Amino acid sequence: MSKTSAPAAPKTGHARILGRLKRERSLWAISAVALVWVAIFCYGPLYGLLYSFFDYRPGLNLWDCEFVGLKYFQEFFLLPDFTKILRNTLVISGLNLTIVFIAPVIFALLLNELHHSGFKRTVQTISYLPYFVSMVVVASIMNTLLSSNGTINELLMALGFIESPIAFLNEPDLFWGIMTVTNIWKGIGWSAIIYISAITGVDGELYQAGAVDGLGRFGMVWHITIPGILPTVVLLFILGVGNLLNTGYEYQLLLGTPMTRDVYEVIDTYVYRYGVQMGRYPFATAVGLIKSVIGFILVILSNLASRKVTGMSIM
Amino acid sequence: MKTKEKAHLAPYQKPTFSGRVFDVINIVFMLVFAFCMLYPFWNQLVISLNEGTDTNYGGLYFWPRQWTLANYAYIFEKGNLGKGALISVLRVVVGTSTTLFCSGLLAYVTTVRGFSGRRFMRIVYLITMYFGGGMIPTYLLMVNLGLLNTFTVYWLPGLFSAYYMMLIASYIYGLPESLMESARIDGAGEMRIYFQIILPLCVPVLAAIGIMAAVGHWNSWFDVMVYNPKGEWDTLQAYLRRILTEATMASQLLNDQQQQEAMRKLTTSSIRAATTMVVTIPIVCVYPFFQRYFISGMTIGAVKG
Repeated sequence: MSKTSAPAAPKTGHARILGRLKRERSLWAISAVALVWVAIFCYGPLYGLLYSFFDYRPGLNLWDCEFVGLKYFQEFFLLPDFTKILRNTLVISGLNLTIVFIAPVIFALLLNELHHSGFKRTVQTISYLPYFVSMVVVASIMNTLLSSNGTINELLMALGFIESPIAFLNEPDLFWGIMTVTNIWKGIGWSAIIYISAITGVDGELYQAGAVDGLGRFGMVWHITIPGILPTVVLLFILGVGNLLNTGYEYQLLLGTPMTRDVYEVIDTYVYRYGVQMGRYPFATAVGLIKSVIGFILVILSNLASRKVTGMSIM
Repeated sequence: MKTKEKAHLAPYQKPTFSGRVFDVINIVFMLVFAFCMLYPFWNQLVISLNEGTDTNYGGLYFWPRQWTLANYAYIFEKGNLGKGALISVLRVVVGTSTTLFCSGLLAYVTTVRGFSGRRFMRIVYLITMYFGGGMIPTYLLMVNLGLLNTFTVYWLPGLFSAYYMMLIASYIYGLPESLMESARIDGAGEMRIYFQIILPLCVPVLAAIGIMAAVGHWNSWFDVMVYNPKGEWDTLQAYLRRILTEATMASQLLNDQQQQEAMRKLTTSSIRAATTMVVTIPIVCVYPFFQRYFISGMTIGAVKG
C-alpha cells in the first residue's frame, strides 16, 4: 500500500515517516490499546519478579523497600521442605511421563482395531467427557466414589479385599496412585486424539506390502503401525520432559488434605500457600522464579533434543 | 488423510482364530472402558436424586432408592446457586466475546501488509508466550490494580491472547488479500474492513477458539478462588469448591437443618452431588457437538507450530 501511493514530490525522511504514521493512524490506534494492555498485564508481572530481591510489602513503592539480594532464593534451597518438594515433583512427573503417558497410546492402538465405526466413534466420544469437565467436578466425583460408603469401598468389601472402609484420601501411601488413576481417567481420551490421527496418517501401501510379505494382524501393528506413530510418541515424550516441573496443582489443592501434604506438595502449591495464603510475597515470588528459570532451561533442552531426534520442535 | 483411511483392514486379512479372540476381548475391554468413563458421572447423578440420609446407608449404585428433588431445591433456594449460575454464564459470555473481538483485532493488525508496526506487535506478543511473571507477581498486580473482588478480573486479564492471535492470523493469511486491498481502495476504514470483511470470513476459526475459550471460562475455578476471596462474584465452580473443601458450608447446612424440618434429610455429600450435576450437565449436553471444533483448534495450532 505504501508503494502504490508514491508521493509526487520527493520528501525528507522525517516527513516520510510522519506521512506514513498519518496514513496508518487507525492501525496504530488499535496497536496502542493492545500495547498498553500487554504492558500492564503481561510485562507488569515480569517487572514484579523484582519483588523477590526486595523486602517488598504491597502498597509500597518497590524502590522504598530494602534490597536483600538472593536471601529468599537461598532460604528456599536450605529449607527442609526443599528435598520433599523435589522428590514429590520428580515422582509425580515420573508417573505422568510413564503410566499416564503410555495409556493413551495403547488406547489409540486398541481403538484402531475396532471394526464397527459407529461403536468406535461412540467409545471415542465417551472417552473425551472427563477432559471437558473442570478439576473441581473431578475432585467432587472422586470424593464421592472414595468415601467410606462410596462405590470403591463397597466393591472392595464385597470382594473381600478389605474388612472395613479405607479413608483413601487421607492415606499418604495411596495419594500418588489415586492421582495417577485420576489423571489417566481425565486425559486418556483427549491425549489419544493425536495418536489416532497419526495412525490414520500411516501409509496404506505399507499394509499391502506387509500382507504380501505374510504379516498377520498383530505383525502389522508391531512392524508397521507402531513404528509409524513412534516419531509422534517420541516428540510428545521429549516435550513432556521439558514440562517436568509442571506437575499441575489443581488436583493437589482440591483433593490434598493436611495428612497427605508431605506427598503432594509441589512448587506451585507451595507458592500458593506461602504467597497467596500467608502473604510472604518476596519469598513465594523467589520460589516461583526458580521454577520458571529451571523450567525454561528444560524446555529449551527438550526442544533441542526433539529437533535432533525427530526433526520437529515447538520453538 | 481421507484417502488412506482404513485401506489396510478388511481386504488383505483373513480372519484368524486368534484375531477373533482378540476382537471379542477388545470389544469387552472397550465396553468396560466406556463404563468406567461414564459410571462416576452416573453415580453422582443417582446420589443427587436420592435422599441424603438414605445415601449414607450405602449400596447406592445405579438407581435412586428414595427419589427426591430436595437437594436441588436446597442449593437453588438456600445456596445462592442461581446467582452463581448467572455469574458463570455472564463470565462465559463477556469473557469469550471480548477475547474473540480483541484478539481478532490484534491478529488483523499483524496481518495488514505494509503496516510498519506489524512485526513489532507480533514479537511483543510472542514474547509473552514464553515469559511470564508467575502466580505471585500476577496476583500482586491484580491487588495493586484494585481488581480483587470484582467481575472485571475474569475478563480483563484475558482480553488479548498471543495464542489466539497466532491461530487467527494464520487463518487471515489464507484469505485472498485482494478483498482487503479493494476495500481499502474504495476508502473503507480499518475497523470497517475488520467488521465487514475479516470477521465474517473468520467465522470457522473464531468458532473453534470461542468454544475453547468458553469451556475454559466455564471450568475455571482457581482464579475465582484467588482473586475473589470475599465470594461476591463466586461462579458455579467456586460454589462447588466451597462445598468440597470448606467446613463453613457444612455448618451452614447443619444450622438450616436445626431450624427447618424439611431439611433434615439433606447431607453435604448429597448437596455436593446436586451441585456437581448442575455444573456438569451443560458440558455433557454440548460437548458431543463441539468436540470437532476443539480438535480443529488443536490441529490449527499444530500446523503453525
